[in-house]
Amino acid sequence: MKADFSQPQRQSSIGVLIMFFDTIQEYGRALLPLIVIGILKFDNTNRLYIFLSIPVIFVIIGIIAYLKYLHFTFFLDNQNGEFVVTEGVFNKTRTTIQLHKIQQVNIRQSLLQRIIGVHALDVDTAGTNDKEVSIKAVSHELALNLKSVLLDNIRITENGKVASESFDSRNAISEQPFISISFLSLLKVGITSNYIRSLGLLLAFFVTTYDYAIRLSNHGIIDEDQFINYFDKGFVMRFVGILIVLLLVVILIINIFRTIIKFFNYQITKQSGSLLLSFGLFATKSTIIKPEKVQVVSVTQNYFQKKFDILELKIKQATNGEKEARKQAIEIPGCDKNEHIAILKLLFGEMPEKGFMIKPNFRKLGFAVFLTIVLPLVLFYSVALNGSPNLLEYQYGVAVYVVFMGIIQYFSFRNNRLFINDRFIIKQSGAWDISNEIIEPHRIQAITTSQLFWHKSLNIGSITLHTAGGNVGFQLGNFEKIRNYANLWLYEMETSNSNWM
Amino acid sequence: MDSVISKIAYPKSDFQMENFTNETIDTTQLPRFEEVLFTPLHPNYWKLTLIHLFVLFLILATALGFGLIFNAELIPYKWNLVIAAAVLMLLVLMFSRIAFRKKGFAFRNHDVLFRSGIIATNTIVIPYNRVQHVALHEGFISRILGLAKIEIFTAGGSSSDIEIPGIEKIQAENIKQLLMGKIQKQL
Repeated sequence: MKADFSQPQRQSSIGVLIMFFDTIQEYGRALLPLIVIGILKFDNTNRLYIFLSIPVIFVIIGIIAYLKYLHFTFFLDNQNGEFVVTEGVFNKTRTTIQLHKIQQVNIRQSLLQRIIGVHALDVDTAGTNDKEVSIKAVSHELALNLKSVLLDNIRITENGKVASESFDSRNAISEQPFISISFLSLLKVGITSNYIRSLGLLLAFFVTTYDYAIRLSNHGIIDEDQFINYFDKGFVMRFVGILIVLLLVVILIINIFRTIIKFFNYQITKQSGSLLLSFGLFATKSTIIKPEKVQVVSVTQNYFQKKFDILELKIKQATNGEKEARKQAIEIPGCDKNEHIAILKLLFGEMPEKGFMIKPNFRKLGFAVFLTIVLPLVLFYSVALNGSPNLLEYQYGVAVYVVFMGIIQYFSFRNNRLFINDRFIIKQSGAWDISNEIIEPHRIQAITTSQLFWHKSLNIGSITLHTAGGNVGFQLGNFEKIRNYANLWLYEMETSNSNWM
Repeated sequence: MDSVISKIAYPKSDFQMENFTNETIDTTQLPRFEEVLFTPLHPNYWKLTLIHLFVLFLILATALGFGLIFNAELIPYKWNLVIAAAVLMLLVLMFSRIAFRKKGFAFRNHDVLFRSGIIATNTIVIPYNRVQHVALHEGFISRILGLAKIEIFTAGGSSSDIEIPGIEKIQAENIKQLLMGKIQKQL
């Protein structure tokens, strides 16, 4: 049944197309500024040249893609136990992977690959964070065969002899996704999340367009008086109303599109104890979550999402010291309550329960209000009263800001809690999106406690738990209790073996 | 009330069933990190700080002097400027002194503690079995003063690393040996 991989072979011939689009993408990114300048700057004759050169460029890219396809070969060296991939037209690269070092073999499909009907196969080793080798276009059958051959070798080296049939059947079972997030869930996620981020994007967009309009008017393209008159008096109120509604609709649409493009066809597969995630509409991403490497898991849900029964999981894993990678959390959007329980059980062995609760002191709210309301107000009025009185016309805006900020700060204070039980520390925070960060005490690397000198007699203070997946902090709780727990966690860390990873 | 801990969360994979005991821990009897006596930094470290500050002040004073010479508009305010600079220097000096006094370190059987902070008192605790590596650092001036700095790194990123400055060279070497020994034992 097994295909023979001992001779060097190429990808599926249709793979030339994948190579072609890849090459376009590669060069396109580099050439994009040139193309834009070319279209904007040049007059008609030059533009003609550019349009004429486009087919030529395509032909050249096609030739390059074909050459790349011809020179991309892979084979299995059974004697040395190596998987060898050769690529490159002029600069040849030969990647040799020792079979026993292979950790993961993933088969995935992007939209383009789905249309053409080929699959990509990634090989991952223990050495680096990046995938070592990516074969971009093979048939599904060949991909499955290659995968089972590559993984088979791990089994044999790991536990002597394992019947390959049983492994094959097990492999076939694990191909079934354990959780797959439906299109409907993604729609729900798009509607209910990331309001602030989209607002920021929109604001940036409006500012640049406004800037552009002003610049055009300065160039005399738009008559300035007309431009100002256009936004006049009573019309303005109606215009603002329409604008706000429009803004909301645009935010929703952007959100939905972004969510779907990013997370389309989100599938979670169980694979020998770890979770394999794959998602994405145009470019399929795949990641592996190993439960023993998970440091911080945060579960986020807002009011609407609660009604829709969806929540978002963010998982931070320990990486091999690569700093930028550590900051990146793995997101699982839109799973429902049961799915989230299943994932947490798989990661932690049990569903984390909220234990003893520590509340922050009311001074935390006071400080937040001082920082976000009192200070800006003082700044605003000191500027307005000393020199620019026309700022006072915007006082209603200030009132809106104060009420809005006040509500946000009140709720984020009310939601700020630390829950502690024997196995888990859960920090709850957030005003609208309420998130629960879950860590296990034995994952802690170091503990910092902190107290302002005027808080000593009040017995309140802060704690930061440092893990390999980031810090979890809690401010202004009962310091006596916090220190007791710190002592307990230190005791647990110091008496257990150091398998935080 | 403090919860009574009925079991310790041992990591799953390291379970050794044969010699596994599970006694109740009395949380009030646990060693308390807040009662540890901290060792202050070596007095020479204050000299080092003074030298650093002196260089800084010298640069500041030179800048002020040049400003007064080349910008005639500043001359009417010269006393204000000089007084402002003097107050600033005094404040910096005072806070440096407080910072120096507040810094301290301690080595327990199973962890290392470092305390610092002017307005807030921060205490960071790193168990030896979480230490990734230890480094000894000597600056040019600190070598003349016979001082060294110990850096202790964990996997928790830069915010969870400890830097203990102002330890006598020989003592620092000893501490490093001690830490290395502790790490080796853990492995």
